[in-house]
Amino acid sequence: MSESIQRQNKDLQALNQDYASKYGFHDPVDYFHKGAKGLSHEVVEMISRMKKEPSWMAEKRHEALDIFYSKPMPNWGNNDLLGEIDFDNIYYFMKPIEQQQDNWDDVPEYIKKTFDRLGIPEAEKNFLGGVSAQYESEVVYHSLREDLAKQGIIFLDMDSGLREHEELVHEYFGSVIPSADNKFAALNTAVWSGGSFLYVPPGIDVKVPLQAYFRINAENMGQFERTLIIADKGSRLHYIEGCTAPVYSTNSLHTAVVELRAHEDSYIRYTTIQNWSRNIFNLVTKRASAYKNATIEWVDGNLGSRLTMKYPCVNLLEEGAKGEILSVAFAGIDQHQDAGAKMIHAAPNTSSRITSKSISKDNGRASYRGLIKIHKGAENCKVSVECDALLIGDDARSDTYPTMEVDNDQVSVEHEARVSKVAEEQLFYLTSRGLSEDDARLLIVNGFMEPFTKELPLEYAVELNRLIQLEMEGSIG
Amino acid sequence: MKQNPEYLINEMSPQLHRGPDWLKAMRRSNRLGFNESKLPPRGIHLWRYTDPRKFMLAVDQARDSDFAGECDTVASTETEHVKKGRLAAFVTDLGGRDINVLVSPKGLPNGVTICSLSDASEKHFDLIREHLYQLINRKTGKFEAMNGALWNDGIFIHVPDNQIIEKPIHLLREAGRENSAAFPRLVVIVGRNSEITLIDEYGGGSPDRSNGISFSNGAVEIFGAEDSRTRYVSLQRYAPAMNSYFTHRAKLKQNASMLTIPLVFGGELCKQSFGVELAGEGASSKMYGLLFGTGRQHFDNHTLHHHSAGKTNSDIDFKVVLKDRALSAYTGLIRIDNKARTCEAYQENRNLLLNKGTRAETIPELEILNEDVSCSHGATLGSIDEESIFYLNARGIDKSTAVRMIVGGFVQSTLKLVPDDLKERLSEFVATRLEAI
Repeated sequence: MSESIQRQNKDLQALNQDYASKYGFHDPVDYFHKGAKGLSHEVVEMISRMKKEPSWMAEKRHEALDIFYSKPMPNWGNNDLLGEIDFDNIYYFMKPIEQQQDNWDDVPEYIKKTFDRLGIPEAEKNFLGGVSAQYESEVVYHSLREDLAKQGIIFLDMDSGLREHEELVHEYFGSVIPSADNKFAALNTAVWSGGSFLYVPPGIDVKVPLQAYFRINAENMGQFERTLIIADKGSRLHYIEGCTAPVYSTNSLHTAVVELRAHEDSYIRYTTIQNWSRNIFNLVTKRASAYKNATIEWVDGNLGSRLTMKYPCVNLLEEGAKGEILSVAFAGIDQHQDAGAKMIHAAPNTSSRITSKSISKDNGRASYRGLIKIHKGAENCKVSVECDALLIGDDARSDTYPTMEVDNDQVSVEHEARVSKVAEEQLFYLTSRGLSEDDARLLIVNGFMEPFTKELPLEYAVELNRLIQLEMEGSIG
Repeated sequence: MKQNPEYLINEMSPQLHRGPDWLKAMRRSNRLGFNESKLPPRGIHLWRYTDPRKFMLAVDQARDSDFAGECDTVASTETEHVKKGRLAAFVTDLGGRDINVLVSPKGLPNGVTICSLSDASEKHFDLIREHLYQLINRKTGKFEAMNGALWNDGIFIHVPDNQIIEKPIHLLREAGRENSAAFPRLVVIVGRNSEITLIDEYGGGSPDRSNGISFSNGAVEIFGAEDSRTRYVSLQRYAPAMNSYFTHRAKLKQNASMLTIPLVFGGELCKQSFGVELAGEGASSKMYGLLFGTGRQHFDNHTLHHHSAGKTNSDIDFKVVLKDRALSAYTGLIRIDNKARTCEAYQENRNLLLNKGTRAETIPELEILNEDVSCSHGATLGSIDEESIFYLNARGIDKSTAVRMIVGGFVQSTLKLVPDDLKERLSEFVATRLEAI
């Protein structure tokens, strides 16, 4: 056993470079359009004009900007870090190329280079049904397999979605997350650009995952993608997104809004692996509405960023709806992963499960912040929440802030959390079988993450293991 | 009821002018703390479920004639218990006016002091200055400052080193009836290698809302020296129209151990906070709470275990049974400091909802600032499962008896930790609340 682990380890080491050289590169770019720094109604106007949007969207943006101005910063989470965000020192819109491409060869060389280094076309060839790559504010490359397009599946970037399917977008945009939901949802609504628009018609089962990749390249860049996914009656889909950014000395901001609508009997799985560099503020609002007998699964991996505040939510609105959230967070040096999950049971016979795993290393801080709400009349609901935290290092910090609100008696709600370090006995067991302490620790951490990694497509699972190995490097003691 | 629109404690409050100069200065500082602080914001979770304005009552201090009958019943049986030596002492505190201490004929161990806080401020001034306001003061919160300024008289207990009080000491604190306010206060100092068991019972208050409500705001500070062993039972059985606020803080030194049992039954609105700081290596704290809510009662309980020293351990089990339209919010925090290595901490909150219309909220929180810990918490909310009822039905037990048996089993593990002479009364409390099922 130990031999194969060592071999695997060697392979991994060969692949192993640190974030700075692997994802942390940034390519010099001549932007087709680079707006001014700072946020104002003029910037919003400019974005809207450049996109030649319908007037209702422009109105929505301006309205949202006023909401953003009027709302205070959240007073929970990490106030010190949130206070570091300088909204006036951020580019709210950058357009790298004039036209979006659907042939990889037509994508400009410098952007192609970036995504080639990240392995995007490779992945597409191998197993993806469709892929969308966003560079700064705009989607630069987009494709959908022909057979899927023929079935009536719409997979576009959000801007094209708005242009080509205005009615659908008008109906659903902001219906799950209204602008006034929170300060950052308002900010996103005001300056959103890019993101994915996905519609699967009734009864269609999309057997291959659909993928988007988000990349921030410039310094002080804000990325505000907006994603809307609609699964019509009885359809099934799996959507995956990945995120990276280069390492700069000043901070960038990523504020996305993701809305999912799962109609009767449909199924949506939404997988995220975010590995932002350590100077990104990642403040994302993700929410899904599940109707009769629909299932929503959020699979959420948070590795990078300076501060992540992200609480995927499922509104279980009709009988038989099911929600599942599976998340991992890895908080290394100076990182705070404030992640969690929300389940709102608004109908009887709904069920949900939350599994949250976090690792805090060095002075990293991982927090689980959750909400379970069971409304009056939502009878026979079943909820189970499990939080596991692993602490590595003397200054590591782990917090658990679950909230459970139950307004009727015919329910079963269970919450459990455990916090511990890597057990000495396990380390001893593995080292006595010839593994170095580092390898043993890595093996234990991988085992701890296993329930999560096994839910990922193979490519992503390998990538995640590799990323964890990067994070774990030299973590003795 | 007298409403004071600005909700200020004014200079006219007679309490502000009581006691030695040091105490007067402390009271004034707490008065300032109350007057100058804002109401706690509803956004933070500790106040998410309870409106702080409900405690902003400017009411008269309790008057002599205002005490309820149950007080006398309890007093007479407990007096008997003292005489028979089943209790070490029985102390009555009527709205902070009269503090009466009845000591068992066997007497108390050498050097043990039980007296009013006002007596203690004269006779044991050094101890008072060292301990009073140490754990609960204007910095703790607005309502803690309110008690700090307005407590009339309270109870002082000091057990010197190496003294074991074998029998429990029972404190009966009676609040006034309608349109009155009480500010009970207690300081307990347990010396090295000493042992004490306290039953701290809170009763009284307005029996009927239509005549007006009553208010109580209590504070308890307990100090456990090295190797001390403290058992503290808090029994809250206020009358139906009482809004009560209560803060308990304890600090444990090396190898000190403490068992805290909050038993919560009464009042219309009740917000309590029980907190223990484990400040010396080897200290250990256990907290086993039981709450039974009926009617439209509203409970909001907080527990805090703060591990500020290494090799400490804590355990919380807070059980809640709710009936009718009762609501319980429970928030619990375990905090383990960075320098507190090798700690163990557990926390459990179980909620049994007996019918539709009940509401339970639970927020069990962990803040762990170092890796060398073993920590877990769990919370459950739910009704009695049909299968258990069916099982008992099938054995010829009717449904309401079955429910009573199951609830009885649920609360049993907490009740069995309670000192003997209290057990019977508690079983009665639970039984009367189950009768209507």
